[in-house]
Amino acid sequence: MTLIRIEGDDLVVVIEGFDKLWSFKGSLTIPLANVRGATADPGIAADPKGIRAPGSHVPGVITAGTFHQDGEKVFWNVRDAAKAVVVELADERYARLVIQVDDPRAAVALVENALA
Amino acid sequence: MGRPRAFDEDEAVRAAVDLFGGRAYDGVSVDDLVSHLGVHRNSLYKTFGSKRGLYLIALRRHLTDDVRPLLDALGDVPDAEAALRLVTTADLRLLLLATVERAPVDEEVASEVTAALAAVDRAIADALGVPADLAAALTAAALGIVLRGNPDNAATALIRHLDPLP
Repeated sequence: MTLIRIEGDDLVVVIEGFDKLWSFKGSLTIPLANVRGATADPGIAADPKGIRAPGSHVPGVITAGTFHQDGEKVFWNVRDAAKAVVVELADERYARLVIQVDDPRAAVALVENALA
Repeated sequence: MGRPRAFDEDEAVRAAVDLFGGRAYDGVSVDDLVSHLGVHRNSLYKTFGSKRGLYLIALRRHLTDDVRPLLDALGDVPDAEAALRLVTTADLRLLLLATVERAPVDEEVASEVTAALAAVDRAIADALGVPADLAAALTAAALGIVLRGNPDNAATALIRHLDPLP
């Protein structure tokens, strides 16, 4: 599970519990100026993810960590595809984050409203 | 460097206008966009930032491609009947869906929609030489007729009562 919140001009993404172990990350802080948008996207879990390094990928169970695809780095932390949200970034180490949140609709609204 | 864009952005946006105009924002998934627009998922995010980012671009394209020609045509109408017929036969699906679905929850959409509808009001007021509030009422009636899915009969009934208008 991933928690997201807005702190001032930053988007803070916190990886919880065992997921922290799988993805090798505790939290990410990204300036909102570098956030391009958020989208609820359950279908993304079925797409090819590229090469994992570092992180964990047990197909059908968990996808967590840094994945390299088409020259981009994508951060994944998803167990339940139905709750996957894609956060697109610019000028950051990661091109995008694919994270599982408790309420995708609310998470997308939180990010999009912070950008508006 | 990522993979070069292998899609026509212009065509993809036009396809998005049709998709969002047919199924509304919430009725279109990213999977739908990927399969209908001919865009890889990563390219879609890289180009438009998010589903909402694409939606805003599609809405603006709809206003340019579909609503702007209506405004131009309204400038030449001889009477209220012709104005009503134009508005009820124009392709305004995305504008109408955006008005009821997204404008209440998205300020940017609300701003685009409000400006577009005000422009229709102004075009009718200028063409017919009627007060702004009457022009707004005509626009509202025309859009209501479209929303009820019975443009011909309802428009004809309304037009019968518009005879005193120029």
